[in-house]
Amino acid sequence: MTATVEDTRPLWGIAQYEDGTRRVPWPVSHAEIERAMGGAVSTLAGLGVTAGERVLWCTLLSEAAHFWPLLIGSMLGGAQFSLADATAPDALRVGMFVRQLEYRAVIGVNEAVLDGFDELERSYRDVFGAVSIVGARPGAYERLTAVGLTPYWFVLCGPAVAMATLPGGPARVDPNEWALTELDGRIHVTSTQPRETAFDNTPTAIRGSLVDETSFYPETGAHS
Amino acid sequence: MTYFDEVAETRSRADLDAMQLERLGLMLPHAYEHSPIVRATWEEAGVHPRDIRSLADFTERAPFIDKETLRHWREDRRDPYAGLLCVPVDDVTTILSSSGTTGEPTLQPQDWGASGGPVRAGLSRDLWMMGMRPGDRVMVVIFTFRGPAFGMVQQFGAVPVLCDYDAGDMIRFCELSLEFRPTGLYSLSSMIVHAIAEACEQGGFDPTDVFSSYRAMVQAGEPLGARARGIVDGWGVPLFEHTGVGDVGTAFECPEHDGLHFWEDDTLVENLDPEGTEPVGDRERGELVATALVNRTTPLIRYRSGDIVRLTRVPCPCGRTHSKLWPVGRKGDGVEIQGRKILPIDVWPAIESVDECSRGLFQIVREAPQMDRLRLRVGYGPGCADRLGAVRDDVMAAVADLLDAVPEVELVPDADLLKLGPPHKIPRVAPR
Repeated sequence: MTATVEDTRPLWGIAQYEDGTRRVPWPVSHAEIERAMGGAVSTLAGLGVTAGERVLWCTLLSEAAHFWPLLIGSMLGGAQFSLADATAPDALRVGMFVRQLEYRAVIGVNEAVLDGFDELERSYRDVFGAVSIVGARPGAYERLTAVGLTPYWFVLCGPAVAMATLPGGPARVDPNEWALTELDGRIHVTSTQPRETAFDNTPTAIRGSLVDETSFYPETGAHS
Repeated sequence: MTYFDEVAETRSRADLDAMQLERLGLMLPHAYEHSPIVRATWEEAGVHPRDIRSLADFTERAPFIDKETLRHWREDRRDPYAGLLCVPVDDVTTILSSSGTTGEPTLQPQDWGASGGPVRAGLSRDLWMMGMRPGDRVMVVIFTFRGPAFGMVQQFGAVPVLCDYDAGDMIRFCELSLEFRPTGLYSLSSMIVHAIAEACEQGGFDPTDVFSSYRAMVQAGEPLGARARGIVDGWGVPLFEHTGVGDVGTAFECPEHDGLHFWEDDTLVENLDPEGTEPVGDRERGELVATALVNRTTPLIRYRSGDIVRLTRVPCPCGRTHSKLWPVGRKGDGVEIQGRKILPIDVWPAIESVDECSRGLFQIVREAPQMDRLRLRVGYGPGCADRLGAVRDDVMAAVADLLDAVPEVELVPDADLLKLGPPHKIPRVAPR
């Protein structure tokens, strides 16, 4: 017989995710975050990020429940990590980091960051040319591809994080935590482990086509 | 209970001094041994850590480091960590960066493995001091680049409600406040205060409802102008000022609202003549000089911060014995106009008294330390582009009325000025 130990800790926090119509408040437990850290270690290992390398994450505070496990996952895997806001003004910071230090990966690049580089009159090739792995969100992915770069899909798929392990390959969620379905071209998520907030075919902001139950290709040029 | 940690927060001055000396005794040899810039600076001054046997020895003999010294080291030696890194590069887990208000952000390597994580223990004392309690929900509105500010809330045993630091999205702040009823808020700036006020108006929210659950709000970055302060006062929630202490520690107001406590078991602070090396008197304006007592990854030793503060070591009526400071401004932030020193804080009330410029976004344009005429670059809000001549006249009149000197005024959209800084503040003095 297996005893169940109740988690008496307060919530890890209340973050947000997008469901295609709005950003939804998202209560998250510590147990979920801890499980996600394990998944993040695997994801980063799958990308080939190894101990001693660096990863720069571009994120927003409301996305902390998506990103925090990834940051700690980088650390647990022996990589160093840095943070920049995924906003146009913080493009300056992204540029500063990749100029001063060598980063194996810059992940979470969105259109706002690219807009910031446009304002700074910095070409994307100039900024990201020496970075092996650029994890780009829908919208940014297409813009980077258009200038000849080879980004990896990085997608906040509702409450789940989906990332490709090859440039141009499908984005994949943690198979131990999530299952995906597609309805009218929109990706939906179902949680497969106990969570503070259960998800059952919950719509996301992401349109795309499923490869299998845990991976998909986002639809280019249509991401809301 | 008044204190989160009564013993730590109410130590006698003698105990604090003894603790600081003990921690210096560990820190100085470590920094001297491992930090190239500390080693070089101390060797050049002909001082060795073994020469420091008392706090008096330290304040009389230890050499200073300042921002320029760090910048030169960083550039001349192509060392991104400015000679401060005291642990093997492989032990660094995290490389964050400064806000970059006055230039390009600088790197801040950290070792979360050795320090147990990203959050200082003293921050729990601060949250308690302001009236928050474990189990509360605390709204965290902040950017991410400085690291996980929400970690201090979690460490305290409270639940962070996470909201982007986005002035264009404060309707969400109102919605989250009404849904989750937080008791604390970290953090406000002038920009966010105005944005929340506008969101309440646009979204039809009654600020009394939005803020009814809050017991404490923290303001960070630069001080609020009178206009923003007036808005906050209308929300009916105590506001606590918060600032950094020379890139070494942090300081928060206590319920007395008369100065910001910093924890002296974490940071050794001196307040010195900005142009010399002698301490200034109690509550007199001086330059904050900080020494790290705990951070062994990149310890700053006798760092001349350039921050002008007033400081007192007189125990506070709140019962806490740790010193307090009052931020005044930045060294060199002012300009001398016909022999008279003018600081941004002197100009501020006039700017925000003009409705179109109520966000208080402006810069003193300094072409030289001494100038014949005050030059200002002033931000204006949306909807007044067709009457900029009148707005300029109003700003000139308001400044002339306050300072008895008519300035030259260049008007620019608020958004242009906001682009110049990190989200919570802008450089207040700028070259042409």
